[in-house]
Amino acid sequence: MNTFLHISPVTASILVTLLPLFACLVQALIGKKSISGNIALVAIIASTGISLFGVFLPIWNETTTLQKWAWFTIGERTLEVGIHLNNLTVLMQLLVCIISLPVHIYSRAYMKNDEGIHRYWMYLSLFCFAMLGLTVSINLLQLYIFWELVGFASYLLIGFWFTKETAVQANKKAFLINRIGDIGFLIGIALVYAHCGTLDLSVLFNQTGTQIAIDKNATWVTFAGLAFFLGAMAKSAQFPLHVWLPDAMEGPTSVSSLIHAATMVAAGIFLLCTVFPLFNDTVLLVVSIIGTLTALSAAIFALGQYDIKKVLAFSTISQLGFMMVGVGIGAWNAAMFHLTTHAFFKCLLFLCAGAVIHEMAHLKAKAKLDIDPQDLRHLGGLRHFMPKTFTCMVVASLSLAGFPFTSGYLSKDSIVITAYEWANHLGGVYVLIPILLTIVSLLTAFYIGRLIFKTFFGDFKYRSYIDEGIVFHEAPSLMLVPMFFLAAGSLFPLFGISLTDYHSAWIMQTLDAGTHSPILAQAHLFIPILLTGGAILGWFMGWRWYVKQKYPLSENNRFVHFAYKQGYLNEFNEHIFVRGTTGLSRILYTFDRYVVDGFTKLFSWLVRQLSVVAYWFDKHIVDGIVNLLAGTMYYIGHLVRHVQNGQLQTYLGFALTIVVLGLLYLLIK
Amino acid sequence: MGVLSILIFLPLVATLLILVLPLSAKATFKYIALGFTFLQFGLSLYLYGNFDASLGGIHQLEAYQYVEQLAWIRMDLGAIGKLEIDYLVGVDGISLPLIVLSTLVMLMGVGASWNTEKSPKGYFALLMVLNTAVMGIFSALDFFLFYVFYEVMLLPLYFLIGIWGGERREYAAIKFFIYTLLGSVLMLLVIVGLYFSVINPTTGAHTFNMLHMMNPANYVDGSFFAYIANYHEVFGIPARLIGFIVLFFAFAIKVPIVPLHTWLPDAHVEAPTPVSIILAGILLKIGGYGIIRVCYSIFPDIAATTNWWLALVGVVSILYGALNALAQKDLKRMIAYSSVSHMGFVLLGIASLTAEGVSGAMFQMISHGFLSAALFFLVGVLYDRVHDRYIYSFRGLASLTPKYTAYVAIAFFASLGLPGFSAFIGEAFVIIGAFNAESMATGVPRWMAIGGSLGILLSAVYLLWTLQRMFFGQVRLKGGLAWQEALTDLNTREQLILFPALALALLLGIMPSLIFGNLNASVLQLIDLINPYL
Amino acid sequence: MITLTHFLVVSACIFCIGLYAVLAKRNTIMILVGIELMINAAILNFVAFGKYDKVNYGGQVFAIFAIVLAAAAVAVGLAIILNVYRHFNTINPQNIHELKD
Repeated sequence: MNTFLHISPVTASILVTLLPLFACLVQALIGKKSISGNIALVAIIASTGISLFGVFLPIWNETTTLQKWAWFTIGERTLEVGIHLNNLTVLMQLLVCIISLPVHIYSRAYMKNDEGIHRYWMYLSLFCFAMLGLTVSINLLQLYIFWELVGFASYLLIGFWFTKETAVQANKKAFLINRIGDIGFLIGIALVYAHCGTLDLSVLFNQTGTQIAIDKNATWVTFAGLAFFLGAMAKSAQFPLHVWLPDAMEGPTSVSSLIHAATMVAAGIFLLCTVFPLFNDTVLLVVSIIGTLTALSAAIFALGQYDIKKVLAFSTISQLGFMMVGVGIGAWNAAMFHLTTHAFFKCLLFLCAGAVIHEMAHLKAKAKLDIDPQDLRHLGGLRHFMPKTFTCMVVASLSLAGFPFTSGYLSKDSIVITAYEWANHLGGVYVLIPILLTIVSLLTAFYIGRLIFKTFFGDFKYRSYIDEGIVFHEAPSLMLVPMFFLAAGSLFPLFGISLTDYHSAWIMQTLDAGTHSPILAQAHLFIPILLTGGAILGWFMGWRWYVKQKYPLSENNRFVHFAYKQGYLNEFNEHIFVRGTTGLSRILYTFDRYVVDGFTKLFSWLVRQLSVVAYWFDKHIVDGIVNLLAGTMYYIGHLVRHVQNGQLQTYLGFALTIVVLGLLYLLIK
Repeated sequence: MGVLSILIFLPLVATLLILVLPLSAKATFKYIALGFTFLQFGLSLYLYGNFDASLGGIHQLEAYQYVEQLAWIRMDLGAIGKLEIDYLVGVDGISLPLIVLSTLVMLMGVGASWNTEKSPKGYFALLMVLNTAVMGIFSALDFFLFYVFYEVMLLPLYFLIGIWGGERREYAAIKFFIYTLLGSVLMLLVIVGLYFSVINPTTGAHTFNMLHMMNPANYVDGSFFAYIANYHEVFGIPARLIGFIVLFFAFAIKVPIVPLHTWLPDAHVEAPTPVSIILAGILLKIGGYGIIRVCYSIFPDIAATTNWWLALVGVVSILYGALNALAQKDLKRMIAYSSVSHMGFVLLGIASLTAEGVSGAMFQMISHGFLSAALFFLVGVLYDRVHDRYIYSFRGLASLTPKYTAYVAIAFFASLGLPGFSAFIGEAFVIIGAFNAESMATGVPRWMAIGGSLGILLSAVYLLWTLQRMFFGQVRLKGGLAWQEALTDLNTREQLILFPALALALLLGIMPSLIFGNLNASVLQLIDLINPYL
Repeated sequence: MITLTHFLVVSACIFCIGLYAVLAKRNTIMILVGIELMINAAILNFVAFGKYDKVNYGGQVFAIFAIVLAAAAVAVGLAIILNVYRHFNTINPQNIHELKD
């Protein structure tokens, strides 16, 4: 076992995970006094270095290493925490580090002079800790814990500018939708625990499949698979749980680039790749269908967006859909490959967009304009002012579109071609999926071309202000260096020497999905040509429409408006789910107050009425008898009183009465 | 005098001291209360640390620890027999964590009472009597003694709510008192029934000893609650089932379950902050404890047949409580309903009759104890400053009181079950246990577990919505500038009370073995007791 | 024919009138009158029954006795009344009630 500085890979992995946590705690304690972010930066540099040399290189292509410690015992079972190092996990951990590092450096320039920057570093380190921990978790419970913590960090970062109304609505929405996924994940965990007795990944699965005997046709397996997929759907923004991601653009752009482009949203894909041996054909088909649907709908919505970050957000959703399809057709290694390349070029796209927005915001402040710095309709011709940013963004766009010589070309084609092979193998209606993916690829090229053309080409609306003397900078070097690094990573050499054969990319060589559909040679040739040709055609159209201003559709075209409104999904969710739940809660509260509590009050009213009746009974009947008795006695006394009233005639009368009574007695007797 | 008795009666000494001291010594009452409560807390930690985790308890007296048994009432009633009531106290893995929780929450309550102006003498005296009663309930193993402590607990609460409470305090106090008393009075009938059905094996006399009631061999043949060949019925319902239902009814009011929960919003809202803390932190747990100790241990055969219904009630409580919390505009009432929802998890866990479920339920009780105490205290902080609890009166508090916001955010996230905090462990294992129930054929179907897990979504909904409505966004207060000045950030005393509770939530979330270690043997023992009847 | 019964009825009526006068009159002289009437009724009864004693003429003898006694009673009664009047200044027996307890 290779060791770096005599640290075992497991220890190294723990260090990689914990260093950002320490950075977060130190930053929390120091607070406002440290705003440079050096603590976080040092931690992430160290983590990256240790991850590359201490974890990735020793483990990649070698045997799985793991270590666990007993955490707590519940009932008769003991749950553990630990580190699980195999190809998948070390790749993911390294990827997170490698993307986080440039973002940290970039943030120093982007977030400069922000009031709450000390909180920013704290939250960013917390996120890194959670994400790194997620990647190397030994069992599903530990994964779940970090999964939720990642969501929590995302909540904190989306709502970073907490006085902004839209931001705090967005982070609440993000957390709640992710919670829906968390329920799914938890149900999946519970089912696996109930049927397999363990959550330990090393015991459940190995490189090729499940170790424990699991009957894939059992109902619980389907449910568990769907439950895990629900978790991934929320975290990786699949349709219809994708609605939180466009809103999450409220956070700082550097956050969007790291979390909502490269790492957190990839966690869903990562989860599915981890529990892949559990999925049966039904679940995989569902995954494929939803992935395709996501890719298609997001690409359509991206066409109608005017906010630069929202275009990129939908682009992310669409590419995540691609990755899902990769998992669904059984080629999870292709999905992971695309995840890795996507991390580079999407992060780069966001960082470039951030540079543009940064400068536009400066312009807005200095010229006192009332514009949205992120709105495409206010941009144009910026390549003259920001040539290096322009170059990077073009490289990233080409990679996204899957143009040859880029890494994205290899990874996207791996998915599309494998999809054709899969559909061909199964026959029939399954071919719809690769066809739709092809359409999505073409749309992808178009919308990213639209973005580039509208931003960097044409005339700049506010040129006059610059001519008057307000300076429009290129991005500072602290931003450019990370961007260049990522641009280099978006080109093919990082992933494979071959320009065209994705199978020889080193990621694909090592990660083995285990399922292979028969290879279609024609597809390997035909698809890349189709996609590249289509992309070029799309760019030509985009050039005509956006640069030459020969836009064929009207201003308020219904389809464009539909896409801009994201298919009215947000309105739908608001009316059905949000208003529905709050309405239901109000109904239930009224029910609680008047019916349930009403019963209690009714009960107490009945008892009080009973007491009134009892009191009446007591006063008039029980006491009445007593009073009657007394009254009778009084009356008798009243009568007998006359015996002694001193009246002569009365005495005589009584004497007569007695005599008569005596006579009567004697007579009767 | 055993350690446990000292723990129970220490607050009574405080009461006497407070009553004896003249009114001029006003300032000292709170220090006396604080001192004694602190001592109690230390003592309970000592008990916890020296607890033998391998002993189970539940129905075996030998497995209980710190046991003290004294002959209390002995009377020869001639033809009827001998009356034997013991002072029997002891703890096992179920009661000891709850005792530690109670001492901690009491400490928080005393801290929250620091600024009581009105009649501090009466207030602290009553508080200490309540303290004794609560300790006694958790330790008592003789049913008569248990009942005495149970009744003693009600009385100080009536006065504490009725005198020191809010606007509708008299209504809330009498509602709470009568509602709980209804349950406990019916419980008395069953206690007497059990008394006449059980024989103490050593002396041959009828007994109130709970542990003897848990052993089927001690029952008189043909008695009302006999285990074997019991043909007694009340209105066509078997006698043992009636006994279980009546006892369950008494404790269910305290848990509280839906639909017997309507006393809770009124009592919690009208009670002063420290009393709310104690109500939510300790008293609700007495319901859960009673179900485990009394209903399940004495009637395990009925427990095995009725757990479907109990689980259903649990799920309904979770969802109904959460939806009602969502509809609230008063912050304190929202937290009160959230307590109903979280205690629903406890009931679901207990009803699942799996080790994970019952352990999760116990953990959830403990976690909810100090978390709800922290939540009510946080509400109290706000109310102390501006005397308004209406959610829509506040907006953008994060800009005004950052430290307070941080504590509220942590408390809210801890309550909604964010991993890393204790509530997650409790809720996750309740759900896992409920799922496991179908595999282990305890009779709780999976759809109930799924319904329960919706509760974790709903609790996030109302808590995060409240966080957003009150703390984020632009500052806008109903009382304008006057309020802005009144809303100072947390002072030292308040932080001193809050920090331990939240730190404990984090600690238990990271190291649940601190609780599970002492709990496991008892939980397994309980499952073993009920398993033969499943 | 005038039978014994006729005599008895007449004497009963006179007796009742006398009784009424004794019990209900607000004048002590009238009470005396009543007493006299009662005695005279009794005398009439004696005379009526004297028919059956042809040997000793007991009825007639008793009647003369009774007339004398009645006269004596009235004399004494009047004396009492005169004394009472001197003391009480009234002859309404309802106002003379000092004998009560």
